[in-house]
Amino acid sequence: MNWQVIFQPESLALYGQGVLTTLTLLLSSLAAGALLALLCALALTSRSLLLQRVVGAYTFVIRGTPLLIQVYLIYYGLSQLDWIQARWDTVWPWTHFKEPFFCALLAFTLNTAGYTAEMLAGSIRETSAGELEAAQAFGMSRLQVMLRIVLPSAFRRTLPAYSNEVVMMLHTTSLASAVPGLLDVTAAASRIYSDFYLPFEAYLFAGAIYLALTFCLIGVFRLTERRYLAYLAPRPH
Amino acid sequence: MTLPALKLQADNIHKRFGANEVLKGVSLEARAGDVISIIGSSGSGKSTFLRCMNLLEKPNQGQIVVAGEALKLAPDKAGELNAVDPKQLQRMRSKLAMVFQHFNLWAHMTVLQNIIEAPMHVLGVSRDESVARARKYLALAGLGGVEDRYPAHMSGGQQQRVAIARSLAMEPEVMLFDEPTSALDPELVSEVLKVMRTLADDGRTMVVVTHEMGFAREVANHLIFLHQGRIEEQGVPKDVLTQPKSERLQQFLSGSLK
Repeated sequence: MNWQVIFQPESLALYGQGVLTTLTLLLSSLAAGALLALLCALALTSRSLLLQRVVGAYTFVIRGTPLLIQVYLIYYGLSQLDWIQARWDTVWPWTHFKEPFFCALLAFTLNTAGYTAEMLAGSIRETSAGELEAAQAFGMSRLQVMLRIVLPSAFRRTLPAYSNEVVMMLHTTSLASAVPGLLDVTAAASRIYSDFYLPFEAYLFAGAIYLALTFCLIGVFRLTERRYLAYLAPRPH
Repeated sequence: MTLPALKLQADNIHKRFGANEVLKGVSLEARAGDVISIIGSSGSGKSTFLRCMNLLEKPNQGQIVVAGEALKLAPDKAGELNAVDPKQLQRMRSKLAMVFQHFNLWAHMTVLQNIIEAPMHVLGVSRDESVARARKYLALAGLGGVEDRYPAHMSGGQQQRVAIARSLAMEPEVMLFDEPTSALDPELVSEVLKVMRTLADDGRTMVVVTHEMGFAREVANHLIFLHQGRIEEQGVPKDVLTQPKSERLQQFLSGSLK
């Protein structure tokens, strides 16, 4: 074992940069994905059969194919298309398709949105019919019922499953290392491995970083659930 | 002598579920201070009738007037009557607060949040005023110190009293009760009935679908007996219950009064 190499300032800086990229990827894709997921969940639970079908097909494809394939399709596949190539030097937003970070972010966002949309749609469908009736009977408009009763309740009930999704997404970001030029935690480990031929130390340290990040994420969700799911907790005595 | 103001009229309500006609022209008139009990065996259409009054069920025929304002209705493709103007429906619903058999409190909200929700966001009452109302009506319902509790952490009787306080906070024209004690353990029924009795004594207008014959006899001033979607008998509760004219009511009473 040679831990000195790992703990020398240059290596730590490399890992630090990796953590920054990983977290930026994670948080941006979660934020954009959550917004997209909300829209998709509303479509999935809407009365429009067309919307249900279209968004249903989207989540089916996303959940039915590996994320790595999705990343490759966006990063390598799209760049083959003449239509994109004709635009990506000048026309926004196609200029972004040259950037590895953007391509990874797009793939992760679409992916997490697909999974989260189905979770949220499930929670929305499970909203107690009685609570909906009460809201209607008290004179709330459809929009008010959605904004004041359905969504606040569904968001809360989605929390435990969503915390799982977030942790999975953190680990999934390691696939970003498959895109050249992106230096996330896993890519940093690979760089150190190839520079010093220390696979065990390099990846073990990366694993420890993911573990620590997971620990923090789970902690944040624990606190959030304690606050927002208190109504489901066992009766306090 | 002038009669008290009309608060709620339901005229000739018909309701079909598929081929099954559940209500075959039922009418009701509630004037200020009336306490009307609707009784009948299960399947008689009594809950459906109550739910037609605030359009939780869409009737196939009939008219509903709340505090002098007729609800504008138009049939849809399925032949059910829908509100023409959603805003009008919302306004009229806010005047008819409903208490449900299964309480239907919003589970993710505390007691206080449950009670101030509709006054603030439907009626536009200020937060301070809504909270003041909540305190007042919780006290009336015999509940103290429960404002920050969640419904799931309370007994059924307490939850139903919170639900009553939630309805009261709307300061409605008429309160609709849909079998308010049917989901409660026997020992919790009386605490809810006691609150309802207080409301009746305060002169509130109430329409109560119930199995509680004692309440119907002692508190209500008008009793409606529904059978197979029709009003079989109605009148002053004591008379109707002690001298039932129809065979149906006699059978019903011999089954439920023991």
